[in-house]
Amino acid sequence: MPPSASATPETALRVRGLRKAFPRRRQPPVQAVDGVSFVVERGQVVGLLGPNGAGKTTTIKMVCGLIRPDGGEVEVCGVDARRHPRQATRHLAAVLEGNRNLYWRLTARENLRYFMGNRGRSGRSVAAAADALLKRFDLWEKRDTQVADLSRGMQQKLAIAVAVLADTEVVLLDEPTLGLDVQTGDEVRRLVRELASEGRTVLLSSHDMDVVQDLCERVVIIAEGRLVADEWVATLMRLFASRAYDARLGAPLSARQSEALRRAFTLVEITDDARGVRVDLERSDDLYRLIDVLRAERTPIESLDRVIVRFEEVFRHLVRNGINGAGIVAPPATVAARGRQEDAGVG
Amino acid sequence: MWANVLVANVTKVLIEMRRYLLNTISLVVTFYVIFLMLVLGINVVGDPNAVDDNVRFLLVGNAVWFLLLTSVNSIGWEITTEALRGTLEQLYMAPLAARWILLARLVGNLAVNLVVVAGMLVLSMATVGVWLSFDVVTVLALLGPMLLGAVGLAFAVAGLAIVYKQIQAFLQVFQFVLLAMAFVPPSVAPWLVFAPLVKGIDMLRASLVDGVGLEAYAAADWASLLLNGAVYFGLGLLAYGAAERRATARGLLGRY
Repeated sequence: MPPSASATPETALRVRGLRKAFPRRRQPPVQAVDGVSFVVERGQVVGLLGPNGAGKTTTIKMVCGLIRPDGGEVEVCGVDARRHPRQATRHLAAVLEGNRNLYWRLTARENLRYFMGNRGRSGRSVAAAADALLKRFDLWEKRDTQVADLSRGMQQKLAIAVAVLADTEVVLLDEPTLGLDVQTGDEVRRLVRELASEGRTVLLSSHDMDVVQDLCERVVIIAEGRLVADEWVATLMRLFASRAYDARLGAPLSARQSEALRRAFTLVEITDDARGVRVDLERSDDLYRLIDVLRAERTPIESLDRVIVRFEEVFRHLVRNGINGAGIVAPPATVAARGRQEDAGVG
Repeated sequence: MWANVLVANVTKVLIEMRRYLLNTISLVVTFYVIFLMLVLGINVVGDPNAVDDNVRFLLVGNAVWFLLLTSVNSIGWEITTEALRGTLEQLYMAPLAARWILLARLVGNLAVNLVVVAGMLVLSMATVGVWLSFDVVTVLALLGPMLLGAVGLAFAVAGLAIVYKQIQAFLQVFQFVLLAMAFVPPSVAPWLVFAPLVKGIDMLRASLVDGVGLEAYAAADWASLLLNGAVYFGLGLLAYGAAERRATARGLLGRY
């Protein structure tokens, strides 16, 4: 079943047909989001991906109620966010645009208490939880330091701590690791993993595909405001990783062999020294055909490895091929169907 | 729930005032110096028979201007800073509507600045040896509806700031509009009673300068004061609501 097929009682977030256009002076409006739909089940960590200007942040802000959609529906834990925005925000916390969510003249502890105060909780009732979070996020030593004096990584962790302390079912994270060093980035990843293990639903937007691959079980990819893919990360990886092979040769390919390979396969890459070849094996007998071409001139094969595709390449492929002039070439259902066929060993 | 929101916001105002202590002190000193300069002017060029009355007039006007500047005008600066820092969007994600959080912030600002104004007023009075007549009940009764109008005005300024963000030039000019409200009595131009705050400031001045008590005001005065406060509070909220709708429709909340 496609991940976003329908809403169930376990649905934490449901977005259906979301549309938003921004007017421009003396120019036609920009269609930032155009009919985006997806569903996130409780406890899932889902990546919302897309190139710059794809409409990710607009989508997230519409989910948060910060931007009013032109059309479509947003439901947070069963609450219609357009009709009852305040009720919906009780189930939602968000960290938007990195560290830009804190009061810089307040200390770490004061920030936590202030934001919880705005959620209607007394300082006394959140004091213990706030202190525990500061310890868990390795910010205890800096609890009385003003945010302006914290490092970017610490500010980022504190912003996430504020969202965690709100104790909501859904947490939206926009670029949680942006601009962080490797160590702090790893810490933030650990914290997101902990959120998931607590059963919270996380919708995460990031340009760092390693982070996405590491943290997300599913991705929703949008480009030019439209949905390009909505699929399990594992399915996508299987779909893209299983077909490409790299052969390292003991002698360069002849011109005739290169020509034969190009005729036999749709996608072929030959290295400049002609001793390496990458082919996309579309059919199950394609590997035999590769071997046949090489054996014809007794070209020695030093190694033959399946290409390990990085998620970044999968993402690029989906964004590039998912859009073709008038519309989507490979809609999510098609991707999902292909994934299911492969899972079942078909084609 | 709102009580906790109020406590959180008053606490924030107090903490930030402490953190920006130098800024607060310099503002008080500036107003104190302006006051002394004006008193000097009154002594040099004013009517020698009305020096005390003029100084009292000045004391009230200066204090009210300070209060309006630090609460009404400052909300505009605060909103632009919050949009820049991204905290404005966080306020909009709270379960309570942002306008009520803003109201809590305004109440906090007014409460804290009332204390500062009181201190500044005592210092000013002690310096020149001229004292105002303080009937606490009358002052509080007048301040209530007057500040209601001030909050409405602050909401309108906040609305402008949410939509346009870069309203610094407007705020610079607006401080002189507030100055006019604080100093120009309706006796100069009767239509001013319809302007925000002016009626309340005039009644407050009469109470502090001439010792006019609660009972001395006609029912029409009270009605006018209450109506003025309520109307401008309502208009301010409406303006803020309209600005909020425009900002969310155009995605302006987090944009600076």
